[in-house]
Amino acid sequence: MNETENRSRDALGTWHDPQALATLRALHRSGALAVQYARVQALLARMPATDLPAAGQLLARLDPKEVCRHADVPVVTVAVTGHSTVAPLVAPLTAELARHGLLLEAKVAPYGSYLQDLMRPAAVGEDQPQLTLCLLDAHTVFDDVTVPWRVEDVEAAARARLSLLAGAVRTHQEAERGLLVLNTVPLHRRYTQQLIDLRSRARLGAVWREFNRGLLALAEQHPGVVTVDLDPLVAEGVPACDPRTAQYARARLSDALLAAYAREAAHVVRARLGRTRKCLVLDLDGTLWGGVLGENGPGGVELGSGLRGEAFQEFQRVLGQLGAQGVLLAVSSKNDTDAVQEALRTHPAMVLRAEDFVRVNANWKAKHDNLRDIADRLGLGLDSFVFVDDSLFECGLVAEQLPEVAVVRVDEEPALHPAALLADGWFDLFELTEADLERAGRYRTEALRQEFREDIGSYQDYLEGLGLEVVLRPPDDAEIGRVSQLTLRTNQFHLATERLQIPQVSARMERPGQYVLAVRARDRFGDHGLVGALFLRRDAEILRIDNFVLSCRVFSRGIESACVSAVLEFARDTGARAVTGRYQPTPRNTAFASFYAEHGFAVTGTDPDDPDTVVFRHALGDIAPAPAHLRLQAAFGPFDGVPV
Amino acid sequence: MTTALADTEEFRILLEDELGLDIRAEDLDRPLDDFPEWDSVLLLRLVTVVESLVGRRIPVVDLLETRTFRQMYEVVVGR
Repeated sequence: MNETENRSRDALGTWHDPQALATLRALHRSGALAVQYARVQALLARMPATDLPAAGQLLARLDPKEVCRHADVPVVTVAVTGHSTVAPLVAPLTAELARHGLLLEAKVAPYGSYLQDLMRPAAVGEDQPQLTLCLLDAHTVFDDVTVPWRVEDVEAAARARLSLLAGAVRTHQEAERGLLVLNTVPLHRRYTQQLIDLRSRARLGAVWREFNRGLLALAEQHPGVVTVDLDPLVAEGVPACDPRTAQYARARLSDALLAAYAREAAHVVRARLGRTRKCLVLDLDGTLWGGVLGENGPGGVELGSGLRGEAFQEFQRVLGQLGAQGVLLAVSSKNDTDAVQEALRTHPAMVLRAEDFVRVNANWKAKHDNLRDIADRLGLGLDSFVFVDDSLFECGLVAEQLPEVAVVRVDEEPALHPAALLADGWFDLFELTEADLERAGRYRTEALRQEFREDIGSYQDYLEGLGLEVVLRPPDDAEIGRVSQLTLRTNQFHLATERLQIPQVSARMERPGQYVLAVRARDRFGDHGLVGALFLRRDAEILRIDNFVLSCRVFSRGIESACVSAVLEFARDTGARAVTGRYQPTPRNTAFASFYAEHGFAVTGTDPDDPDTVVFRHALGDIAPAPAHLRLQAAFGPFDGVPV
Repeated sequence: MTTALADTEEFRILLEDELGLDIRAEDLDRPLDDFPEWDSVLLLRLVTVVESLVGRRIPVVDLLETRTFRQMYEVVVGR
């Protein structure tokens, strides 16, 4: 099918499927929703956003245990607390998490119990939720204000409330009770208009922003706190409050705002689970520029000049902004590669150039095959991909062939492209690190390495020619964020998949007998940066490798073997009798199930607390040396060389 | 749904489709306390759903004070 036929066919349909909710309801009515849960994610992927809360009502009725008997779906435990009635969040949050293939197990707190919830110590044997959502609303302040009131009264109430909240958040974080999500609080007209003098009214606005500024600052003070700003959601036209449900049921954020908040919260969950997407694959004709390159030629596409041309250019600026923060940009376009390269190189209005893309796949093969090719070459899973196209046909085919790819369909109005792409926080992460800012450059250097490899006779010759240098040492303060990020984002070489926020990494570093080691690597083509981390613990005469994580960018170069050799030697030199390692299987790390066995460790059994986890042991009798093609420097930190 | 709640059967289907509640025809006159799944959060959702369906405001307080699904239906259709 040629592009013109695709386009005329596209004009007839829409990406969102208005029948998806009816299909879900039919499943529910027939009693088959739990049994057929595997179909839910695909239904939700194309469901109009306005139908998601209704879908959530049905999904929230399912028993998570029953669902897990029929579908392989990860369960996320979320504690929901807040100032007012918070239960109405459960249905939309259930739907938003189900869109990402996650099953919500919500623990809803009683009305108004948030301060107590944040401050009470975790009960013995209580399972800690993976995150806590603490919903705040205007009553958080106005409950403490009595009639008649002046702005000064609101200011005092806001200040007192913020201080109480800051204390509760500190207690929660110091008790290591996990990720906490707060939100800013919209100011309602029903309050501003109760002040009839315009000067006071303006001041109330300022006082209110100061309260919200304080809430946002809590996220700066505590690495384990996220504050979702509701202002941008309200600015999209979402009503903040329904006066009747606020009055009669004390549900003080509107259903629509809770639905929008749930979408943001689901992306916080994704980031928390290491599911931040990494690569954005873009179509060209109709997506990055207007018109058809094959018909108009490289100079003739709609870009830069003219109304629509400016809109496409604006979309490219948005993409450039994402790219500058480490999102890998790539192209998949049905076009002749020479024409595409010429347009990228010579079109005067292109914001993005060839060097801004880690891959440009312009050919006539199916897009799902191109996406697979890009994923292979970057060494990334397709579940870290987002695909953008204006063609319904291409979007539909990719969604069907590669359900793990997030598909964003942009339409014929380029001014709406940015909103369509940014409707979901696919690339949301907790903190940008140096590695994010340099990521695209590193992937391009990787392409140079691949060319070098293709020129060289054998893989061993290639490794020897790389001049690889590996440094193993405790991370400095600026590197802790990157270590945390590796544990949060790495799925393949992650032997005991343990996600650690920044404070948890710091805590490990401070505990006597524990070691956090960062792995850095460079070669003749450039610096890979901080690519891995080891978490060690000394337990009498045993040195335990609690976890080992390595970026997929540097697999198969002997770095992992060199790190193990260094740990074994360190253990022997400091009087340990053995080193143990753990492999905890996940769907994504199975390629490394026998990593320890391949490095001279013997299986000793499974972890009594987690029967899936295999424990390995190395008796330190015969330590294989680090591979000869690399140079390794290791320093284990303040406890270096102290015999047990 | 083409007609706006012509009878209790349509209301029953609405409860099932919109709220995921499995209510049989003979349950309509049983006290709401007999349904552990029923709560005020569902009632709020019902208000949103019904108002967009019938296109007019329904009296929330009257709805909150109902004791059976049939009474709820009567408030919703304005009897």
